[in-house]
Amino acid sequence: MNRLKLMEKLRVPMMLFPAIAIIVVLFGGGMISGVGQSVGYFPVIGLNDFTLDYYRDVLTDDGFMTSLWLTFRLAFLSTLFASVLAVAFALVLRHAFRGSRLLTLIYQVPIPIPHLVVATGIVLLVSQSGLLSRGSVALGLTQTPRDFPVMVFDPAGVAIQLTFLWKEVPFIGVVVLAVLKSVGPQYEEIARTLGANSWQRFRYVLFPLMLPGILSTSIIVFAFVFANYEIPLLLGVRHPTTLPVMAFRNYQDPDLALRPQAMAISMILAVVAIILLVAYKRLAKYAVES
Amino acid sequence: MTHVMLEGLTRRFDDVIAVNNLNLEVESGELIAFLGPSGCGKTTTLRMITGLLLPSEGDVQFDGKSMIAVPTEKRGAVMVFQKHLLFPTMDVARNVGFGLKMAGISKKEIDRRVSEMLELVHLPGFETRRPHELSGGQQQRIALARALIVRPNVLLLDEPLANLDANLRLEMRELIRTIQREMNITSIFVTHDQEEAVMLADRIALMFDGVLQQFDVPKAFYERPNSAEVAHFFRNDNFLAGTRHGDCVETGLGSLAILPDHVTQPDGKVVVTVRPEDIYLAPTSDENLIHVKVLAQVYMGTYKQVQLDVDGNKWLAHGPADLDIREGDTIPIQLPKTHIWLLPPVNGK
Repeated sequence: MNRLKLMEKLRVPMMLFPAIAIIVVLFGGGMISGVGQSVGYFPVIGLNDFTLDYYRDVLTDDGFMTSLWLTFRLAFLSTLFASVLAVAFALVLRHAFRGSRLLTLIYQVPIPIPHLVVATGIVLLVSQSGLLSRGSVALGLTQTPRDFPVMVFDPAGVAIQLTFLWKEVPFIGVVVLAVLKSVGPQYEEIARTLGANSWQRFRYVLFPLMLPGILSTSIIVFAFVFANYEIPLLLGVRHPTTLPVMAFRNYQDPDLALRPQAMAISMILAVVAIILLVAYKRLAKYAVES
Repeated sequence: MTHVMLEGLTRRFDDVIAVNNLNLEVESGELIAFLGPSGCGKTTTLRMITGLLLPSEGDVQFDGKSMIAVPTEKRGAVMVFQKHLLFPTMDVARNVGFGLKMAGISKKEIDRRVSEMLELVHLPGFETRRPHELSGGQQQRIALARALIVRPNVLLLDEPLANLDANLRLEMRELIRTIQREMNITSIFVTHDQEEAVMLADRIALMFDGVLQQFDVPKAFYERPNSAEVAHFFRNDNFLAGTRHGDCVETGLGSLAILPDHVTQPDGKVVVTVRPEDIYLAPTSDENLIHVKVLAQVYMGTYKQVQLDVDGNKWLAHGPADLDIREGDTIPIQLPKTHIWLLPPVNGK
């Protein structure tokens, strides 16, 4: 009897064991090793003493705050623009019209395409030797390709933003569109008969209905962009660069002495991301409830 | 109080004509029911009145003014739907006050009128409740309050009682009728339930396949249906073919006396009908006495429903609960001439 009870109690933990094991061993192991290196425990190169010097070095570095701001700005603007565009597309695509199904399909194409492929496409499109630049010369809008505005490897990170937008707009949009379609037109029709104009219907009826969907997807987009290194690495300038790129470069450097700094940056990045996400979630909860 | 006129209202969806040349006039403060089976064009008509759907042809007029070019939000024709009643993101007070907020009314005034309106629908103090905390009946009452608070020109109710159970339906029916009379709002409601239409409406517009069949007071649908289809919809399937000659109708069962001033069908081929509850299973005189066979009988508690073979047609008649007859018997029944109504012949026969 006792054995049966014990088995019953252990059933759920046993079933979860494979997943928990992977998280603990791979993720937890990496985390512990990363935290250890960031506080000076890296026996491979003879570092055995606990220290916060690497955090101090990173935080007092001139470039750090610039990179943190750039990382935040990229993540914030990408999330904001992607959310606004996703809502706009969803508002159009929720209606059935001739070709709406095809348009919805095309709209969702970016979702399975890898970010690296999109980045390459964006370079071919908006760089000074790209399609748009050549088209602009052909139309006489610019004299030479060099007159075309710099959008790739630029300090403002236009190509980076465009890559994220192309990928993330459909991601948020698919969820928002599903919400709008499941809600149907009746709430809007009721509001209309009660005297609400199109802006009021959006502001007071549709937007509050979409808000939970927008918030739950945009939080994922924000976290993803904030921690993404490959797109800023491929399309951004060398200085200033984002924190994930900074950490990645230090990590890849043949000089292993830079590794603890790379880990310190990663840990700071993780903590800042967690703080921002918690704040965002609280704000989102408040927005939805009010 | 708005006078509503529908003139030649027609709506086509590709090849299908959902509403066909509808002409109808609703007096100020009147409560009208659009009655008919599913897909007969009732809701389509309601949507054309609100402006949510544009007619293919015809006109909708409020107080003699065409509404065709007036957008929904400016018509003052408020609709209460069967489903999706309340905005789920708002509490009761914000739901009820929605129309006033859209009109830019001050918060203080909105709050005052919201609590007034909640009193009216017997839900005082419900301001802070969320829609999911309310029962179906309460949600429906809040939806009604939200529509009434803007004092609409026309109140349109699309099957407002369909989702409620029998007791709530009765309660809600009373409430709609009382408030509608109190506020004197021209109202139109859609239903497929003839009992509901009869109990609520001043007049009923019965529609089949997008065509208005009869627009009259409820009593007329029982006493003076204008076709066999209308009589059938009001649960009267007692039909007997005949030929009218002045004050009598020749039928396969003999001559039946009628009141010439009571019927409207001219001399010639007609269909005789008498409602089941108007047939005398225990005759009181020899007038219009016919002999028919009893096919079946069902005890209904307060009365007995008897199925009869009337010259090859199956008729129903209601008799006293203690009526002593047996299936297979041939019995005399009386068709009182005051209750004989003549319908036009079906397909000219």
